[in-house]
This record gives sequence, structure tokens and C-alpha cells, in this order.
Amino acid sequence: MEISEQKVVAVIMVGGPTKGTRFRPLSFNTPKPLFPLAGQPMVHHPISACKRISNLAQIFLIGFFEEREFTLYVSSISNELKIPVRYLKEDKPRGSAGGLYYFRNIIMEDNPSHIFLLNCDVCCSFPLTNMLEAHKRYGGMGTVSAETANQFGELVADPITKELLHYTEKPETFVSDLINCGLYIFTPDIFTAIQEVSTHREDQANLRHLSTFEALQSPTRAFPLDFVRLDQDILSPFAGKKQLYTYETMDFWEQIKTPGMSLKCSGLYLSQFRFTSPDLLAGGDGTRSALIVGDVYVHPSAKVHPTAKIGPNVSISANVRVGAGARLINCIVLDDVEVQENAVVINSIVGWKSSIGKWSRVQADGDYNAKLGITILGEAVMVEDEVVVINSIVLPNKTLNLSVQDEIIL
Amino acid sequence: MSAFRIEFHFLGVIKMKALILVGGFGTRLRPLTLSVPKPLVDFANKPMILHQIEALKAIGVTEVVLAINYQPEVMLNFLKEFEKKLGIKITCSQETEPLGTAGPLALARDKLIDGSGEPFFVLNSDVISEYPLKEMISFHKGHGGEASIMVTKVDEPSKYGVVVMEETTGKVERFVEKPKTFVGNKINAGIYLLNPSVLDRIELRPTSIEKEVFPNIAAANKLYAMVLPGFWMDIGQPKDYITGLRFYLDSLRKRSSAELASGSHFIGNVLVDESAVIGDGCLIGPDVAIGPGCVIESGVRLSRCSIMRGVRIKKHACVSNSIIGWHSTVGRWARLENMTILGEDVHLGDEVYSNGGVVLPHKEIKSSILKPEIVM
Repeated sequence: MEISEQKVVAVIMVGGPTKGTRFRPLSFNTPKPLFPLAGQPMVHHPISACKRISNLAQIFLIGFFEEREFTLYVSSISNELKIPVRYLKEDKPRGSAGGLYYFRNIIMEDNPSHIFLLNCDVCCSFPLTNMLEAHKRYGGMGTVSAETANQFGELVADPITKELLHYTEKPETFVSDLINCGLYIFTPDIFTAIQEVSTHREDQANLRHLSTFEALQSPTRAFPLDFVRLDQDILSPFAGKKQLYTYETMDFWEQIKTPGMSLKCSGLYLSQFRFTSPDLLAGGDGTRSALIVGDVYVHPSAKVHPTAKIGPNVSISANVRVGAGARLINCIVLDDVEVQENAVVINSIVGWKSSIGKWSRVQADGDYNAKLGITILGEAVMVEDEVVVINSIVLPNKTLNLSVQDEIIL
Repeated sequence: MSAFRIEFHFLGVIKMKALILVGGFGTRLRPLTLSVPKPLVDFANKPMILHQIEALKAIGVTEVVLAINYQPEVMLNFLKEFEKKLGIKITCSQETEPLGTAGPLALARDKLIDGSGEPFFVLNSDVISEYPLKEMISFHKGHGGEASIMVTKVDEPSKYGVVVMEETTGKVERFVEKPKTFVGNKINAGIYLLNPSVLDRIELRPTSIEKEVFPNIAAANKLYAMVLPGFWMDIGQPKDYITGLRFYLDSLRKRSSAELASGSHFIGNVLVDESAVIGDGCLIGPDVAIGPGCVIESGVRLSRCSIMRGVRIKKHACVSNSIIGWHSTVGRWARLENMTILGEDVHLGDEVYSNGGVVLPHKEIKSSILKPEIVM
């Protein structure tokens, strides 16, 4: 087979509902992968990046959400990108590698030579084409993308060959400063490797009659045979055996675990649009359309009064109405929201169908990592005129007629 | 042709109807209402709304209309089950926009008026009481007015709307919202008996029954108030829910303590579902309700708390003044107090202490909550 005919598929892990309570209250009505960043659903960003790879045959989304949550999105994105995108629902937890293995027949349908594995909640530039080239040069079974960070790194890589020498999950002491970016490329050998792990585990269980005490000590005691984790069960044991390599990137990289981080990442993608798709960003000088500062996305159906001032880092979704004299800075405004005259929104996320009253103020300090560092209004929250909401989280369907600060409102 | 005078003897088969105002999102009872709509939250081992439906059925109401504006599918499923069990017709009237406290009556007009001229009940779904509805019917027929309301005496009337009435006849003079000076200590208990003509006074738009409708009827000298005998509580928020449980169990004790648990392991009034299992060495009570399928392991102390269906409380734990949501578990030696509320499927580890922790559904708690805090 010619190298140029080698097909490639991508698998994006999207997670599931009960696992991600950290994304509340935004996750109450919308699955996290569909939450919009820079005007597009979170999962859209890795999907668009995959589309740039040549010979991409299919994209698979694997997760625990009900199929119907993804039906509309998957069919519309397949149409738009002219490439099959399918959602595969896992029936039970099998670990990050176990899930991949479970769907191996579907994934290998087109006989791909390489399989990308991406985590949906990673925000980065997705340098997938370069990563694939590097992987082919290394000639191993898998390549993990890595980045230098000021954290407890999990990966140790050979500086010359880039081979993955050592991998440890969540180290408590210093091991390295290279972190796992959650993007992988594998050859189909990965399925054999995963199967070996299951088989080995089964053999262990059969061979030894563990005493109760031993059984309690065994690290695999809790896991069924087909539960295989990518980190501990594949990366760790295969490190140092000339099978796994690393690809280092220098670009921005964040994990989108909390609503606060989604605001930060929305900003990162908006600033990336400035280089990759500047036509998506809004412009305006305050004469016939609102004054736009910095990187701003405004959905075509949104109506923003010309005397409003928007930005930097603002994303406005469909059917939003922003009234005269309103000021929006560093915020995400979701569908059907009404921001009334002279209101101010800073460092906040305003949930679907909410209403921000005249002269009211919704703001936060802007610390993306603090629990109350970004103000979050859930779906259908009404902030009455002149009310001030600071550093707070408000659950759906509440009406605020008194000012609040540093509070979670159930 | 001879004229026969035929006397119709009503064999007591008068078909009365009732409307229960279920309203909105029940946000004050979160996190419990994040799992089910408020009327279906269990109180004393029964969905809140079932207490009212049963009281209505007992005095001959044949049809109940629920005025709702949220999650009708969940409600309708539940209703089918109870329609059959109770032999009473239950329908829904769904608001598409919030209609206030009177608007829903106008919306349900066709369901409430059947030409018989009989008055109909209106109940507020957050209220629990002894529901002396038969006495209310007699009171209503006695005064011949257009509308009757139950009022209840409270200690702090300024927090509510006060009903100012003539002591002897009960004729209502006026309503005063949150009075700054003392005008009376009876407040609207949320239980009404209305003639069909009241519906002619209500337009289909957001309307307040206390601010618009009742004052009009009072001005026409046709509104009468009856002091509610027995206990009354608005259990729409957790603290009042626990207080209401105490009142309810106390009233059970006064009426038929056969339902209440007895034995050396129980103090005061305790309600235990027959499918619940209680281990050795426990001390349960006072004012505790334990729901179906619960497992209370040995050495557990429970007081002033509500344990919902399917909960497991592990050995030696101590729970007071708290509400434990469906299918949650409380670890060994855990201590929960001061209005700790666990939502559905919350698992508290061994030895964890919670002082007023409010935990949203589907969480695992491994470290103590030292002061009142919401865990999302």
C-alpha cells in the first residue's frame, strides 16, 4: 500500500455526566463537551484540528453521555466538515484504554495506519500534523504529546531520541517537569498491548490464590479484567522499551476542568482565531456597530446596541441582546441572554436565557483557579435592575433582587 | 295525572374538585429538588403532594388538578401510579409563563367548574397540616360567603401576610403584607375553599391571590377565615422541613401511634418504613423518619432527621438535624449535624464530620466539612 493512501482516524474521549461534577452548574443542562468556547462547542476545537490532518477517514467521540445528547451535534458537524463523525457510548467504565479497545473493530474499520487519541477537555493548538510526522520518524507504537510546565511532570523523555523513558501518574515529589498533554498517536499495535494487559491480569488472578490480606494489598484488586487505564497500565509499563516516544510542544496548553477555566480557554481560542480565522472575530468602532476591543466573538443572530462596548475576550452566543450602554469584559454570554441597558459584566459566565437588569453589575476577581474567582450564572437566572453580583455562583432558575458577594446560591 | 313529589336523596355522592398549586422550581429545597420536582420530595416517607391528595380523597374529592410549570413529564408519570392506587382522578394544568398565585386558577377554570355549583379546594403544595377539610366545608356552608381561607397563628407575623378578621364570625376585613406594627397574628395558611364564582374575579394573567383577589372578595364582605386547628408548616426549605417533621410525627402520636415505631431503641416519635432494617445497639429519635429500603447498621444514633429511600448509614455513625437524600451512604463513625443536607447518591466516607454541609447529588465526600458550606 502506498504511504499516501494510509488512512488515519481520530478518537476523542468526551467523558460522561456523573464523572464531571467540577463543571457544575454549567453542566446541569449541557454536556461539558458541548459547552461553547469562543463560540464553538468545546469538542469542536479538537475536531476542527483533526480535519486538518490529511487522509483523515473518520472521527469517533467516545463517552458515557446518552447518545441523544450528541445526535444533533454529530450529524451537523459531519455535514459541515464532510467527514464522518460518530458518537460511541461506552456501556460501562473500562478505563481510558479499555474504552478504546472495546471499540477497536469500529475504529479499525477503514484499516487506518494511525489512530489519534485526544481528550476533549484539553485546550491547545493541536499540532497534530507535526506530531504525526514525528511519530512516523520515531517508528514506535505510540507518541505522547508533552510540554514543559511548572508542575509535577509525569514524563521523563530522552532529550535526544525523545523516547519515553519513565511515566508516573500524579507524582508527589519531583520526577520531571514534562507533563502529559493528553494527545496521543498510536499504531494499531496498541490494541495488542491493551489485550496483553487484560490477559496478564487474568493469568495473575488464575495462578495465585491470594490470601485475603494479599488481595487487599494488590493494586489491581479493584479492577475487573477489562478495565485498562492508559496511564498506569500502558504508558508506565511500556516506558523505556523503545515503544513509546514524546512530542514536545511549546504552545499554550490548559485543561478545561472548571467553569472558570472554560472562560480562560475561550480567551485562548479567541486569540488564536486572530491568526487562524480572523473573519470569525468581531470588529466595530462604536458608530454603526458596537465598539469592539480585543478579541471578541459575536454570533450572527445576536443583537448588540451600537453604544455598548464589548471586549476584550468576550464570546456572545446566539440570540443574545445587549442593550444600550452595556459593558462586557472577559465573559461568555450564552444563548438567549438579555443584557439590559447600562449593565456591566466582567470576568463572568452568563447562563442560557438569563437576564441582566439595567445598571446591574455582574463581576468577579478573575482568578480562574479560585472556587469563586469567576462569577457563574446558571440557566435562566434573573439579575434585577441595579443589583450587584460579585464572586458568586448562582444555580439555575433563581431571581436575584438583592446584591450578593462571595456566595453560592442554590 | 297525579303529581308525584319525588325527593332526591343525595347519597353523599357530591363530586368535589381541588387544585393544588405546585408552582416552580423548588430552589429553596435544593439539592433535593435537583433530583426530583418538589412535590415528589418525600416527607415522612411519602411524596409531599401525596399527603395532600390523600387528605382530599378522604373527604370525597374525586378530581385533583395540579397547577405546575416545571417538569410535567416527571409529574405525570408519578400521577398515573397514584391515580390507580388511590382511585382519584389527577390531571395537570401547565403554565407556559408564571401566573402568580391566582392566575393558575383561571388557567384551570374548565377543569374546576362542572356546573354543579360545588365549591372547590385550593391547596398550596408546600404546606403540611392536619387538613381538617370536612370542618372547613361546614364552616363554608355555615357563613354562606363566597370564599373561605384557613389561617394559622404564628409567633412572628411580620414575616408573612397577616389576615385581619372579626374574631367571632371570621369575616375577613383586610390583608396586610409584612406589617410593621402589630395588626394581628393570623397568617394565610394556604388552604382555600372557593365558590366557582371566584373564578369570575380572576383574569388569565400573572395575578396574586393575596394582593388582588382576596382583598376584592373581602371588600364585598364575602371572605371568611377559619383558624386552622392543629399544626401548620411551610416545608419549602430544609430547616422548616425538619421542624415540620416534628409537628407531623407529634400529630401522628396523638392520633394513631400504631404507625410510629416502638421499642427500646426508639426515643420519642419515629417513623420507620417496614422495608427498612435497623441494626443492634442503635438509638433512634426523637423526630426521625426512615424511608423504604434503608439500612441502619449497628450502633447508629439518629435524631431529628429525615432519611430518604435506599440510604445506608454505617456503623457507629451519628446524624442529627439533617436530611439524607435517596441512595446516599454515611460512613462509619461519621457525624452529621446542623442542617447537613445530602442530595441524591452522596457518599460520605468513614469518620467524616459535617457541620451544615450541603452536598449536591452524585458526590463523594472524603474530608470533613467544618462549617456550613455548599459542596458542588
